[in-house]
Amino acid sequence: MGMPFKLSLGQFYGIDSIVEFFIIIVSLIISYYSHKIYKVIKENNYQFFSWAFLSIAVAFLFKIISNLTILHTIKIEKANFIITFLYEYEWIDILNFISFIMYKVLFIAGFLFLFLIITKTKKKEGILLFVYFSLITILFSVYFNFIFHLTLVIIMSYLVMHFYMNYKTLKTRNSFFVFFAFLVILISEFSFVFIGLHPLFYLLGEVLLLVAFITLLLNQIKLQSQKRK
Amino acid sequence: MKKRTKLEVIRDLLSILRENKKVKITHLIYKANLSNNSIKPYLEDLSKNKLIEQIKESDKRLFIITEKGHDFLNEFNKIKIFSESYGLG
Repeated sequence: MGMPFKLSLGQFYGIDSIVEFFIIIVSLIISYYSHKIYKVIKENNYQFFSWAFLSIAVAFLFKIISNLTILHTIKIEKANFIITFLYEYEWIDILNFISFIMYKVLFIAGFLFLFLIITKTKKKEGILLFVYFSLITILFSVYFNFIFHLTLVIIMSYLVMHFYMNYKTLKTRNSFFVFFAFLVILISEFSFVFIGLHPLFYLLGEVLLLVAFITLLLNQIKLQSQKRK
Repeated sequence: MKKRTKLEVIRDLLSILRENKKVKITHLIYKANLSNNSIKPYLEDLSKNKLIEQIKESDKRLFIITEKGHDFLNEFNKIKIFSESYGLG
């Protein structure tokens, strides 16, 4: 019997899930804070911003599931129980496929939300066009993973430009933190484009993602430590 | 003059209420530099979120700031930094 078709981005058998768990926590903190502001001032920007980070958090939850399903397969193989666990193989493959797709859908949706907020795209046609191209990207990326990351590199480039302009205008430490974090996410996505060439690109991308989300957490801690007016 | 963001208008309204305790709507309009029409959605949202309260005193409609409103005003600096750091608002 041949190896089951495994779809996952994880190559470090669950160890990278620790990084992803940290990203989930940071994303949830940012999402919650933005939602709290929305509840008071009722400005849609904050609601969409909250959804964007919530989407990123849930995306990484699916990535953890996707990574862990590979770990599960390896355990079975090592125990040489392939025939005994044949049924289990099937549902775990489905789980692996669903979590892999959900990770991609939600991850792209999260950054697309951020993109639409900052470019202030409010026309339905514009939004639908972006959603359409994102879905096409996800469909293609099932077999060509680099297309997914290449699309993110493009979206991220716009975000980085926006955050750089924002930093240039404000010249504050917090706006620099955000600009820096998104620049690092951009580089990490660029690194993920080359996953197929060598697993080290995956490791580099994960480390950079960790650095980016540590910076976003630092930004959150810094603003929380501001003195009350 | 730069147009105020929604966040800044809310800060201004709450600051006026904090400084003046009980305030008539006409006074709020004048102090916050808003029109009669533009102030209404702000007051509705703030009341709905329990940041301000409407009271009646000898047939006059007055507004007061609540404890939650005080908390929001204290948090305003943090909210502004969050909003600015991501270029929101």
